[in-house]
Amino acid sequence: MSTARDEILQALRNNRPTPENHPLPPVATLGDLDASRERFITSLRILGGDVLEPVEGETLDQAIMRRHPDAKVICSNVPEAKGTLPVEKVKTPQDAATIDVTVVRAPFGIAEMGSIFLSEAQLPINSFAHLGQHIVVLLAADQLTANMHTAYQERPEFKTANYGVLMSGPSATADIQGVLIRGAQGVRSLSVWFT
Amino acid sequence: MSDKPVNHARAAEHFIEDAPHLQFHDERLWDMRQKRDAQMHILPEWQELREEASRIKEHTLSRLPEYLEQFETNAKKNGIHVHWARDGAEHNRIVGEILKAHNARNLIKSKSMVTEECDMRPYLAKQGVTVTETDLGERIQQLDDQLPSHIVVPAVHKLTADVAKIFAKDYHTDPDIRDPHLLAEAQRQAARPVILHADAGMTGGNFVVAETGTFVVCTNEGNADLSATVPNLHIATIGIERLVPRMADMGVFIRLLSRSALGSPITQYTTHFRGPQKGGEMHVVLVDNGRSARLGMEDFWTSLKCIRCGACMNTCPVYRRSGGLSYGAVYSGPIGAIIDPTFNERKYSTLPYASTLNGSCTNVCPVKINIHEQLYKWRRVLVQHHEMPFVKREIMHMAGKLMGQPKMYRAAIKATEVSLSTMPRFVLYNWLNPWGKHRENPHPVKQTFNDWYRKNRETAKPAAAAPETKK
Repeated sequence: MSTARDEILQALRNNRPTPENHPLPPVATLGDLDASRERFITSLRILGGDVLEPVEGETLDQAIMRRHPDAKVICSNVPEAKGTLPVEKVKTPQDAATIDVTVVRAPFGIAEMGSIFLSEAQLPINSFAHLGQHIVVLLAADQLTANMHTAYQERPEFKTANYGVLMSGPSATADIQGVLIRGAQGVRSLSVWFT
Repeated sequence: MSDKPVNHARAAEHFIEDAPHLQFHDERLWDMRQKRDAQMHILPEWQELREEASRIKEHTLSRLPEYLEQFETNAKKNGIHVHWARDGAEHNRIVGEILKAHNARNLIKSKSMVTEECDMRPYLAKQGVTVTETDLGERIQQLDDQLPSHIVVPAVHKLTADVAKIFAKDYHTDPDIRDPHLLAEAQRQAARPVILHADAGMTGGNFVVAETGTFVVCTNEGNADLSATVPNLHIATIGIERLVPRMADMGVFIRLLSRSALGSPITQYTTHFRGPQKGGEMHVVLVDNGRSARLGMEDFWTSLKCIRCGACMNTCPVYRRSGGLSYGAVYSGPIGAIIDPTFNERKYSTLPYASTLNGSCTNVCPVKINIHEQLYKWRRVLVQHHEMPFVKREIMHMAGKLMGQPKMYRAAIKATEVSLSTMPRFVLYNWLNPWGKHRENPHPVKQTFNDWYRKNRETAKPAAAAPETKK
């Protein structure tokens, strides 16, 4: 008895259009190649994210408290912020559910979209990026790539991470009568702190 | 499944009767179309992107068996279990077995059109599995026991009051809520405990990368990432046509997808799954369900290029004024009308007629599917296969006879003009005359073209009779 796999592949072989008529085009790099911080910030704001600007003499922990004054549980996975909950306490995916603000570092951002990238390399556990109410993302301004073409070509993370997410602003929905709501089921806000 | 042809026209009639819903639906979708246009105008390379996307997809479809095998090899290397399903029943059985092996009773899932195709929820319910949709629009549709009416915004045909009523019943919220923010918050609060206690999570997949064994999921609400990262068992159901060869190809598609769909530059979440998370297990079910057969249809195989953005629905005047549910199928709108008949030719034989053939769908399609031409070609196929309603067939038969005989045709035209100008409304506007439904008949003219021609040009030579004028 032939397997589903064999049957499907055989049917595709029998039915496909002539491969010679459809050569693979070379990899495209199109559009604006500006990788500036200004472009990134403009794009980030379009998607509902924002920049957390330091006030003179302020530490990152203080800036986070200023942005999120009601936050009780702040959990940081970066040495730059202490937070209130040691990240070692987050062991299972469900453990992240009590967090008000998570703090992480993104290895790179994409100027065209205002996207930041996170993978298991930056997270104690993958749900860490989603179960907290708000997220603060550290990003080095020299780790910006211009657009989606350059991102996929230049960044090795897309080929090495088991879980790699591009977050472009906070979660959002417009499923009820077309009204755009920022903060749907994932994080309610996303702030970028440049380093 | 009943094979009775879907009565799209009657369902549309019903939809049109409700003015507030019709107006919102029409305007909301047109707004999405305009936002898409605004994004297109920002990018001078837009047409080049469409061309690239189309060529990459056509290439991939022509080498689909090789790319599927490449994906499978790489995915397995990364620890993903890969399954193959010939049809919906086989898919459901596979998913049911995976869940059973883990003793998983609570499944949370993000939106996936393939699972709708497979009619998975009722199957799993019978196995004792509680399936909870976590996408807001899809959840509304699940609670209301309806199919998604749009592939991107499943509950776009509903107003806030409709959602308030549904949530009041299931979430015990105030039925008089008219603020969408409060309803979205109610969904967040209701979904969280379900997500935290789920045994398994399920997603679809927008793209599959052969080179790396990755699948890519594009969403906005964060529910897909929650569904995939909170439970330790992740099952992804994906159509076999979703392949792209290289990771670098994703640049083209991500730049087009959300701009075409909602007019936003990118979805809030673009997630790349290449293997299970620490301590987790990951399964991919590759579903054929008619796709391999469609690849062999000379006129229709390019419909497999579709990336499910919904742009063709948003722009279609018929879709906007009839609503997705009127198509009576998992896929509605222009793209639905060309792929549904491949699932059931008789049942969906009416759908290729739900179009004015204005070509707008083709113009907005990010992967350049010639949708309106395929709609026309389907009509020809359906006539050849005798899948045409009796009245339409008879009318076409009569029209054919009439147009084949000039004298009879002219007499008929004159008679029509006379009757249009002299008959009372109740004779002209009734059920026997479908052209009088929801629209005015054309104004009667004093003179037919033939009469005018005889009077003015009959004596002139044919060449001089029709001088070139600016059109």
